[in-house]
Amino acid sequence: MRRFLKHNGLSIAFLVLFIAAVGGQAIAGHADFNEEQIRHGDPELSLTRYVVSADFGAAVMENWQSEFLQFTLFILLTVWLLQRGSPESKELDKAGLESDEEQKVGPHAEQNSPLWAKVEGIRRTIYENSLLIVMTTIWLGTWFAQSVTGWTQYNSERLDHHMDTLGWWHYLGRPDFWEKTLQNWQSEFLAVGTMAIFAVYLRQRGSPESKPVGAPHTATGVEG
Amino acid sequence: MRPVVEPRIVALACVLVLAVAGCGTGARSDDAAAVSERFHAALESGDGQAACDELSEETASKLEQEEKKPCEKAILEVEIPKGGTVTVNGVEMRSAYIGVAQGSTDFLDEGPEGWEVSAAGCRATTPDHPYECELED
Repeated sequence: MRRFLKHNGLSIAFLVLFIAAVGGQAIAGHADFNEEQIRHGDPELSLTRYVVSADFGAAVMENWQSEFLQFTLFILLTVWLLQRGSPESKELDKAGLESDEEQKVGPHAEQNSPLWAKVEGIRRTIYENSLLIVMTTIWLGTWFAQSVTGWTQYNSERLDHHMDTLGWWHYLGRPDFWEKTLQNWQSEFLAVGTMAIFAVYLRQRGSPESKPVGAPHTATGVEG
Repeated sequence: MRPVVEPRIVALACVLVLAVAGCGTGARSDDAAAVSERFHAALESGDGQAACDELSEETASKLEQEEKKPCEKAILEVEIPKGGTVTVNGVEMRSAYIGVAQGSTDFLDEGPEGWEVSAAGCRATTPDHPYECELED
């Protein structure tokens, strides 16, 4: 058990943090929603009803989609784009998909390489891009979910103001959808860009996200 | 080849998305339509009290203040279609809007005791603007 925890500490810690944070968000969001209901003389919702409401769904999906977009873009762009001195970048002569030998695929696969790295054809193509495929799918799925929950919320507000509702397609062209989308995207792009640059000059001893403390600022693709 | 994602998982995902989006609105939209229908039937039969019973508290109270009469009398003087069939145009979370006779629309809110008419005799005048209503909260 201790060995399992030691070997999986990072994913377990983030799972626990995620559950605590999403639980906290549900409790705080529910309290805030009901405060708003009281202000408008509308009925309050139970916590269980709130967590399946479009309000909670939109709040969660907005953030999820932008996080998965961030990783999707980071995985994709770091294949070709480099940052001199950054541990987030590959070495400066390695831009691109790299050779089969460097990627240890096909005849260059090692004995303990994953099966789909050893084979040829569609299976290898899928496996070579599996991280990007899954991240992109989750991003698009959560962005779609954001659009549906946001659309429901938007239409509910329109009805409250005695306006008719809009179709989903029309909602996609509304400022509400794009403001909710872009306010999340901009913060993700800023955070990733900042990390790529800060890690050129700053260090965290012991972290693989940083270069070794004594590594020169010009050393690229080195992790501590 | 085995499917990559089990159909059960796809079905579960669809159910989750639809639940969040407001699935299961069928029964609720029927309830909303019934309230609207009862409201207009009461007006048709001249039963002001029954019509006022379908109004939200805020709407009834505003009507009484504006007309300086009890709701059951004032409601019969407002120009709202009487009787006829209704069509549910949309239900979103706790609000609904319902088409009634002569191109008129009702807006309903769902309170602890069910659906209530919050506005009636409404018509769209300018696109993307609130409807103009003969009766509203």
